[in-house]
Amino acid sequence: MTKPAPRGSPLVVSDAPSDSSVVAQVLDGDAEAFGIIIRRYEPGLLRFAARMLGSADAAADAVAESLVRAYRHLAQCRDPEHLKSWLYRITGNRCRSHIGRRHMSDIALDDAPPLADPVDTWAVLERSEQVALVERALAQLQPEKREAFVLKHVEGLSYEEMADVTGARIPTLKMRVHRAREALLLALKELV
Amino acid sequence: MTVIDPRVQEALDGERDPATLPPELREDYARLTGAAALLSAAPATSVADRVMAQIREIRREAPAPRPPNWLLRPVTFRLRPVWTLAVAAAVAAVVFLPFREAAKPGAEEGVAQFVGHFPGARSVEVVGSFNDWQRGALALRDDDNDGIWHGAVVLPAGQHEYMFVVDGERWVSDPLAGRYVDDGFGAGQQNALLIVRP
Repeated sequence: MTKPAPRGSPLVVSDAPSDSSVVAQVLDGDAEAFGIIIRRYEPGLLRFAARMLGSADAAADAVAESLVRAYRHLAQCRDPEHLKSWLYRITGNRCRSHIGRRHMSDIALDDAPPLADPVDTWAVLERSEQVALVERALAQLQPEKREAFVLKHVEGLSYEEMADVTGARIPTLKMRVHRAREALLLALKELV
Repeated sequence: MTVIDPRVQEALDGERDPATLPPELREDYARLTGAAALLSAAPATSVADRVMAQIREIRREAPAPRPPNWLLRPVTFRLRPVWTLAVAAAVAAVVFLPFREAAKPGAEEGVAQFVGHFPGARSVEVVGSFNDWQRGALALRDDDNDGIWHGAVVLPAGQHEYMFVVDGERWVSDPLAGRYVDDGFGAGQQNALLIVRP
């Protein structure tokens, strides 16, 4: 069902094909149409994977593997309307697999700038230093909490979408997000 | 562990207007929303080219292109009775001859038999790793309408994963398969496992 435009606002007509129609196009043999799916979801998937793995290179590998896997098994996407959740689920699984092979703390610190001097305050830190600090704090969270925080607050998913992605129940996810916020806040206070 | 005031949690969950938070709680709220904002920048990289290159490689290796969906949709014809027998004979010639040829396994192949009990189903097909999970490649039949759907196909020897698709939309794992493997998509679904011996 299409939500009607509010009165007085300009009617915006989108020419972008729906996920369902792109999936149908690919399954009909037009492999190049998969490029539409990549362009649509690649930035978010790369960001999600980078936050999960703490490394842009590892994230690129995980997302590339996930997208190829998604293409190979596209016919198994039982609800193309929820393609986004399906892609995040595959990428999340791939990230968990990467994390299982190596310890998170071995990854995140490689690219991070040195820690700020303790006398610095949050306000005077440069943006890149702030990002590095937050990444370092995020890396200290358990993978489940890290995933919950990133899906909720970085990717902006609803709890229903998060349940689709992770397979966990909504109350469980809410608890993980709450715990992740507490752990992240503590880590940020200790680091700055 | 820092315990965050429930009002801050509510504000972060969008259940409370952050402007209503007392001043002493706003710092925690601002720090966490600020952290999320800092993490929201996407990495300045793209994997599109390498993914599409791999997909084109997969396409080159694929045995044959799948017919478009419009060729696979059922079509209903209305015929005068006098034509029915002739058309049935022609259809049988086209449908059954290639099937018999395909049912002869080579040295490194075997015949896989699929049987499923789906009373009331309008269609049942098998999708699996052997047909790249493409629908429309292997439809099962229930000629006597007893709800037992069956079919056979020649497959390369080895291990294959598969599922039934009932009425074109319901994916069902074969309850009689005996062996299963997680489908790898994290929702707890399991693909049935089939081992074909030459």
